[in-house]
Amino acid sequence: MKSAAKKFKGLSDKAIAWIFIAPTLILLLAINIYPLIYAIRMSFTNFYANKIGREVKFVGLKNYKKILGKEEIWEKMQITAHFVCWTLVLQALIGLGLALLLNKKFKGNELLTTLIVLPMMLSPAVVGVFWTYLYNPQVGLFNYVVNFFYDFGIFDMIGSSTLAPWSIVIVDTWMWTPFTMLICLAGLRSIPNYLYEAAEVDRASKWQQFIHITLPSVLPFLLLALLFRGIENFKMFDLVAELTSGGPGSATELASINLKREAFEKWKTGYSSAFAVILFVTIFGFGNVYVKVMNKIKER
Amino acid sequence: MDTSRSPLEATGFSRKLAATIIIVYMIVTLIPITWMVATSFKSVDSAISYPPEVFFEPSLEGYVNLFTNRSRQPKDYLDSLPPPDTWYEELVRSREMVITGPSKFLPRYSNSLIIGFGATFFSVFLGSLAAYALSRFKVPLKDDLLFFILSTRMFPPIAVAVPIFIMYRKLGLGDTHVGMIILYTVVNLSLSVWLLKGFMDEIPREYEEAAMIDGYSRMQAFFKVVLPQATTGIAATAIFCMIFSWNEYAFAVLLTQFNAQTAPPFIPTIIGEGGLDWPAIGAGTTLFLIPVMIFTVVLRKHLLRGITFGAVRK
Repeated sequence: MKSAAKKFKGLSDKAIAWIFIAPTLILLLAINIYPLIYAIRMSFTNFYANKIGREVKFVGLKNYKKILGKEEIWEKMQITAHFVCWTLVLQALIGLGLALLLNKKFKGNELLTTLIVLPMMLSPAVVGVFWTYLYNPQVGLFNYVVNFFYDFGIFDMIGSSTLAPWSIVIVDTWMWTPFTMLICLAGLRSIPNYLYEAAEVDRASKWQQFIHITLPSVLPFLLLALLFRGIENFKMFDLVAELTSGGPGSATELASINLKREAFEKWKTGYSSAFAVILFVTIFGFGNVYVKVMNKIKER
Repeated sequence: MDTSRSPLEATGFSRKLAATIIIVYMIVTLIPITWMVATSFKSVDSAISYPPEVFFEPSLEGYVNLFTNRSRQPKDYLDSLPPPDTWYEELVRSREMVITGPSKFLPRYSNSLIIGFGATFFSVFLGSLAAYALSRFKVPLKDDLLFFILSTRMFPPIAVAVPIFIMYRKLGLGDTHVGMIILYTVVNLSLSVWLLKGFMDEIPREYEEAAMIDGYSRMQAFFKVVLPQATTGIAATAIFCMIFSWNEYAFAVLLTQFNAQTAPPFIPTIIGEGGLDWPAIGAGTTLFLIPVMIFTVVLRKHLLRGITFGAVRK
């Protein structure tokens, strides 16, 4: 390789490789890694970003102890877990179901897929706004349709603290089910036909074929989709910020919403940086364990 | 593909059933979007009537309200004014109001365009350079580097927003177009590098090697042979970056206020008399979503690849 490269004119391949990669690397370091290190450093201080003249003191692990010892934070984590778990379960089931149906190649299949995918491409914040209209207890279409099937009377999806956690689950599922659907569909389409033909020869029933061929083949794809959705929903901010903005009270105050309140409303920069670091480590930790499990399943 | 029916090919009945369920799902899932578009053509009164009006007299009030600021005036003042020149003035006058000036929607929308196009250009340009190097050359720690690039996507935006906020304040980049373009470029880089690397892996090396034997330098071969070959991939990547920048909300709401604010943080703040102006929000939403819907249709063949960072290629 090397001797071949030298025969050509111009810069060496090695030089070009670095010239090409350097800008990307520098930008990522400057706008992602530097802020992260900065955040880690601030997390050990009592810094308030809105009080500029104030002396910044090093406080050690105080912020971390405060956060991990706070019951309120565990509440936020529970709210986040509720949101993440339910959206993943619903999106896995509905998404896989839709993919199985779409895989029965019928006419107009591609057009239908494209139309179904639309919600996923929209701006989450804008989606959040217009769902507040659909959820409006007096004039909302959602409430009207629900009451059409069963008369609950007036109910407020966003204003009631028992319904609000479900309101965000519904919208997220509406928006992101196509994501799992698309990925599962790719999985289904990658299954070679001869597997089914062999099963047919062995007189395996349709159900057995589904359990022993279809499911194991789709599973890695489904798990990949859930990994993406899990990470995204763990850091969920935009959709919920506009839909419920954490309310009523703090019924839908997910981790990121709480973080925004602490960092940009109360300006507790040191404290919120510590919380951000904890969130990041949690996502990273969960992500890594998940990928390991996923790879084990793939190997089988 | 072939005519012999494989076990996977469904029978006529189950195929029809599947198609029916899918069509029903499609209709249900598109209702919210359709409803928002319909609302944009309602009058303010019609938008807040119950039961919700499916059939209504179309009105452009929402669009007029979206683009203008208005103020209510007493009747005798309105009577003293010369008759309205334009249809939209007439519409506003009929609500006993006068137009006081253009709203902020157009500047916000154009901010979205400027920042979106700027960030897309840079992330695709830088991304294709890095992707080419990672696709063709032996780079030390290549896999770690690729994973590092991807992992930057795992940061919750709010987590890095505080340091970026402080950094931008020091550098004078807060609430500027340049600052937002840099930020969105960086956020998109991981996607663009991963996607483009996949596309470039698919271009046979022989093409550029042949060009280099003909006397091209590596640089020339990249710009004159590889880039043109990768046009489809570059276009798909660009559209994905554009959609991301277009839809982004967290950084926009935290880092911009007046000068460089984009449309997503602005649309929710459209307020009429007595609360949110739903037809105007509907109008803003419609105008904002149309480009993305068109893009989605254009992109449909590459969607899967884009949403999985190239992990699933079909």
